Amino acid sequence: MDKELMEALARRAGLDKALAEFPDDVAAAAKQAASVAGKIKVPADPRAEPWPPMKPGDGL
Amino acid sequence: MNVETGAPTTELATDLHWMTVARAASAIARRELSPVELTEALLKRIERLDPRLNAFIKVDAEAALQAARTAETEIKAGRSRGPLHGVPVGIKDIIDVAGLRTTGHSKVLADSPLATADAVCVGKLRQAGAIILGKLSTHEFAIGGPSHDLPWPPARNPWNTDHHPGGSSSGSGSGVAAGLFPMALGSDTGGSVRNPASCCGIVGLKPTYGLVSRRGVFPLSFTLDHIGPMTRTVEDNALMLEAIAGHDPLDPGSAAASAGHYHAALDLGVRGLRIGFVRHFHEIDMPAEPEVTASLEHVMRTLQMAGADVRDIHLPSLGEFSAVNRVILQSEAFSIHAAWLRTRPGDYGKLARRRLMSGAFFGSADYVTANKRRMEMIAAVNAALAEVDVLLCASSMDPACRIDNPAEIERTYPRQARTPFNNTGHPALAMMSGLSSSGLPLSVQFVGRYFDEAMLFRVARAWEQASGMDRKHPPIG
Repeated sequence: MDKELMEALARRAGLDKALAEFPDDVAAAAKQAASVAGKIKVPADPRAEPWPPMKPGDGL
Repeated sequence: MNVETGAPTTELATDLHWMTVARAASAIARRELSPVELTEALLKRIERLDPRLNAFIKVDAEAALQAARTAETEIKAGRSRGPLHGVPVGIKDIIDVAGLRTTGHSKVLADSPLATADAVCVGKLRQAGAIILGKLSTHEFAIGGPSHDLPWPPARNPWNTDHHPGGSSSGSGSGVAAGLFPMALGSDTGGSVRNPASCCGIVGLKPTYGLVSRRGVFPLSFTLDHIGPMTRTVEDNALMLEAIAGHDPLDPGSAAASAGHYHAALDLGVRGLRIGFVRHFHEIDMPAEPEVTASLEHVMRTLQMAGADVRDIHLPSLGEFSAVNRVILQSEAFSIHAAWLRTRPGDYGKLARRRLMSGAFFGSADYVTANKRRMEMIAAVNAALAEVDVLLCASSMDPACRIDNPAEIERTYPRQARTPFNNTGHPALAMMSGLSSSGLPLSVQFVGRYFDEAMLFRVARAWEQASGMDRKHPPIG
């Protein structure tokens, strides 16, 4: 993720103050996110269902 | 590794501070031990040792002694509240205790109002007669730590106070292991009950998702958060889970399940049970320290010799489990902390600030994809557990490193096999598997089918009895 995109995303998330006061931490957070998301295998079936976040019950 | 001798250990089970929950409660019920005497002994030990361990954020001595006196009166009058009556407990400081502040170990909440009600799990412990000793250290908001830039110092490992105790339920692990209290509540979103259990050589359970109410607990990630018991023995863990489990209609994630009789099947042994050994986690995905590998082999062989049928099992890679956990956890956590991160970023410690802000950089498709993959992971673990009764795998790939070595902490913290079961919601228990040559605990993890915590306790108890791990205590004094 380049610096321009990182700063744009941070501003869109409302992190202007963090960007001004802790630019290294914002950059580290962006780098961490970028390194993680790409490691997930996208399920081949586009109809694959996500985990229903709140699905209690005996079977989960 | 030397499982039998290892580092210096104390085996004086008659000392009040090493008494198990079961033994203390039994002695209290028979009126051979006063809850006041026990509470006073532990408060004295806390006063003496906690300045070295930093397990506590707040010791509530006065309220604890008052509760102990009440318990004593009730027991004398023949009104027993059950197997926790009169036994002290520590509470991780993201969990509400009425009349105390929930700080999350953070400047953000350091001046927050006092909690007006107990979290459901705390209320259940109180109802069962447990004595609340106070609030315990945590990684900041259960994510940022160990950190040295917070209003309170980080907890330390009683096996060697130069080392970290794991986290995020760091005070819970440190205090239980050091004999400051025999049981504690922790929370586990990416392994935060099982990591300190592994680092401190105690028993930590992440129950099935939804079995223990999360109401009154400051959230980190709604779909990954679990509340779990931390104790020195498997039996105590079962007793504590019996007290805190059960459906809560006001927790949207609560399961339609009641507490089981986990204690009943403890001593059935492992003869005839099928155990799946997930070797690739520690042999291929994240190669473990040789001492960890040796101790896992030792656990496996011990259970095999006790009559279990052990076979190899293959699951998705640890790296991918971890990535799915990170995307979901950090996305949900950012939604919780966004307002404070926007206005008060300087009130967080560096580690929490970085980890929480990561959630701002995931897109909606990342979150949904992670949850789709999560479903496939659930199917994979369910398929494995259709073939075997329990999975055996690594918990931590390394013993705890020095607390003043941030590079080593950053390297070793992610080297673990706990996040898979936060993703899938299966119950998982971590406990001591031996001691390293440097005298630090090594660990093993058992994983069971949904709501089959009884089976986990049964296997864990078999290992505990064969190895004597419950009698090993840190040389803390």
